[in-house]
Amino acid sequence: MNPDFFSLKVSEIRPEIKGKATSVTFDTPTNLAETFCWQAGQHVTLRFHFNEKEQRRSYTISNPPGAPLRITVKRVAGGLVSNHIGDHLKPGDMVDVMPPFGQFSLTPDPLKRRTHYFFGAGSGITPLFAMINAVLKEETHSVAHLIYGNADGESTIFGKELDKLKIEHAARFTLRHVLSAPSLWSWISPWRKGRVDAEAIKIAVTETPPVAQDVQYWICGPGAMNKDVSNALMALDVPANRIHMESFGGATMTASSVTGIAAKAQVNLGGSTYEVPVSADQTLLNAILAAGLTPPFSCQSGVCGACKARLTKGQVHMHARMALEDSDVTRGEILSCQSVATSDELSISFDN
Amino acid sequence: MTRMYHRLPVDAYTSQDWFEREQRQVFSRTWRYAGLAEDVPEPGHFVSIQAGLNNIFIVMGRDHRLRAFHNICRHRGTQLIRAVGKTQKALTCPYHDWTYDLEGNLISIPDEAKEYPNGVDKSCLGLKPASVDIWRGMLFVHPDPNPPSLVEWFGAVDPLLGPHKPEELVEYPDARQSYEIKANWKIVVENYIDVYHLSHLHSNTLHMYDHARAEYGWKGPHYHFWEPPAPDYAKDLEKNLPTPRAIPEPHIGAWVPMLFPGIGLGAGEDSWNIFIITPLGPDLTRVENRTKLANASGWEFQKQEWSSWSFWKDFGGPKYPDSDAISEDDPMASGDFTAEDIYACEQQQKSLTSPYFEVGPAANGESPVVRHQQAILDFLETQEAGT
Ligand code: FES
Ligand code: FES
Ligand SMILES: [Fe+2]
Repeated sequence: MNPDFFSLKVSEIRPEIKGKATSVTFDTPTNLAETFCWQAGQHVTLRFHFNEKEQRRSYTISNPPGAPLRITVKRVAGGLVSNHIGDHLKPGDMVDVMPPFGQFSLTPDPLKRRTHYFFGAGSGITPLFAMINAVLKEETHSVAHLIYGNADGESTIFGKELDKLKIEHAARFTLRHVLSAPSLWSWISPWRKGRVDAEAIKIAVTETPPVAQDVQYWICGPGAMNKDVSNALMALDVPANRIHMESFGGATMTASSVTGIAAKAQVNLGGSTYEVPVSADQTLLNAILAAGLTPPFSCQSGVCGACKARLTKGQVHMHARMALEDSDVTRGEILSCQSVATSDELSISFDN
Repeated sequence: MTRMYHRLPVDAYTSQDWFEREQRQVFSRTWRYAGLAEDVPEPGHFVSIQAGLNNIFIVMGRDHRLRAFHNICRHRGTQLIRAVGKTQKALTCPYHDWTYDLEGNLISIPDEAKEYPNGVDKSCLGLKPASVDIWRGMLFVHPDPNPPSLVEWFGAVDPLLGPHKPEELVEYPDARQSYEIKANWKIVVENYIDVYHLSHLHSNTLHMYDHARAEYGWKGPHYHFWEPPAPDYAKDLEKNLPTPRAIPEPHIGAWVPMLFPGIGLGAGEDSWNIFIITPLGPDLTRVENRTKLANASGWEFQKQEWSSWSFWKDFGGPKYPDSDAISEDDPMASGDFTAEDIYACEQQQKSLTSPYFEVGPAANGESPVVRHQQAILDFLETQEAGT
């Protein structure tokens, strides 16, 4: 990926679910078309400056590849950036955007014949929506099943668009709403009441068992949902390598109670080697930034993988590692934004 | 000089060598029909299938996904499971009770500590994975865990196979049968795709369809064929169909493709049939038939039978009149097109070993016969280049 920001013009702003979320569409000039190519499920990072302070946030691209670049941002109570986007951003504004990245992506393949199960909740729908569109348009022998959790019909993002897909692709797409607090008058009739839990998953799979036997499971929801859904799938003997997930709304920093130790790090970056001091409470990324270097990074929450480096000497602890596969970790890859030193001498490299 | 039968040597139809070569290079290297999807209806159910030299079994996991493995115990090779059945969580080999889970992992070896005092790495002794998929309501297995997908294999011919949705039809169990034909499997295929013979061998059994207006061709090694109903039959088609429609109006006609290798389908307005050809020896072939019909009530079947009765009551009859029949059960007097075909195949096979056999020119309607021979040569060539 390209770790630089590009200034893009907002071409359309559309409130979703009564202004509780906002879809922002950007113009991508033709000379940047290649740079801003994406896979369904990937993100972009936006950069804003409020009172001299830089704020970066990553949002999932909610359009399938080939369509205009669009993100859908749900308001977070007290959230600096999400409310700025909802209240002030307007067509014509210029925003700094970093090209798409992310490991949670589905590459449609017209020669594949797969059954995709999507489990999403809340704004976790954004990457899944892009993936479902990509499968329906480009992987024409495959089937998509969405089990989608929300509080009620009113807070359901892309409800209308999903209904439309259901009609257009009746033979290849099924949609089941799970509502935790359905209102009587809603236009959405839930398939089940409650949450996307083990019971719902088991029933969903039994109702629509896979026909195409290359089966993939995609999970994206807030908080504990991912763990719950993947546990439920594993309890049905789904092999781990068929489950793909991403937690939404930033990884929670639960494990950050582990503190590091002060260390000296040797850093390979852009062909040069630097000596960087790391203090006990500093992530490697912060230490390297503090030393005046410009390593790649983006979400700073362990989700995007932009800050990936290879550890060649010493040990680190990672608070979160959502963006890495187990195999990456065995190869020595680390997320510098999530790593604190646990041995006093380290060598890491951003170059491959 | 090698005697030829169009593109192939006559030997290809009579010799043990060719039989073994095809078993190895064709039937052990392709997607193979393995039954109907409903043969493995629920988690824990399994079936095994001989596919060329490979015996592969399919089992459904609790996630309703099918898994396929080579049916070979990793200890001394004993076949683990027989035909069909149901298990809960594990598969145990009858010989020394090695036990595997439904992911193929070896989970227990009896008396492990005593019998293998130096230890044994169970993780390297899992069942060898194969592949399985479902397509048009049928199970297919492939010996390779990463084969070309069914889209790559059948994708191009798929749109030409008719609007049937076999998964929505129901099997008519009385039509399920399996029989042997004393002829090479390619003779049976060639008979199935010989357009020329339809109006002759079957002059009195298949004339409800208009063979002169048949449309047929090839997509790779797969043959597709469609023909419309003959005018007499078409005049009052909805009334004349013997059983309720299996496909919606306005679709009409008969789709009779032959997928490679030896997977025949035969589908019309009111039924869907499979005709699976399996070589058993150079001059012995097994054919399995299964039939699916509309998912309609008994009453609807009854009504359709009554409405079509007047068309069928005088329809068809023996190719040869009774006076010409050589015995009571002469297939040429049976009025049954399958009996006619079997008879023709066996009579043809008998001559292939004669030193005086010499093939005549292929007619237009026999172009598929020649093309199928070429498909075999092509497939063998790619396979043998690969090894
Ligand atoms: S910056 Fe995104 S994972 Fe580190
Ligand atoms: S051969 Fe299977 S347990 Fe010995
Ligand atoms: Fe025939």
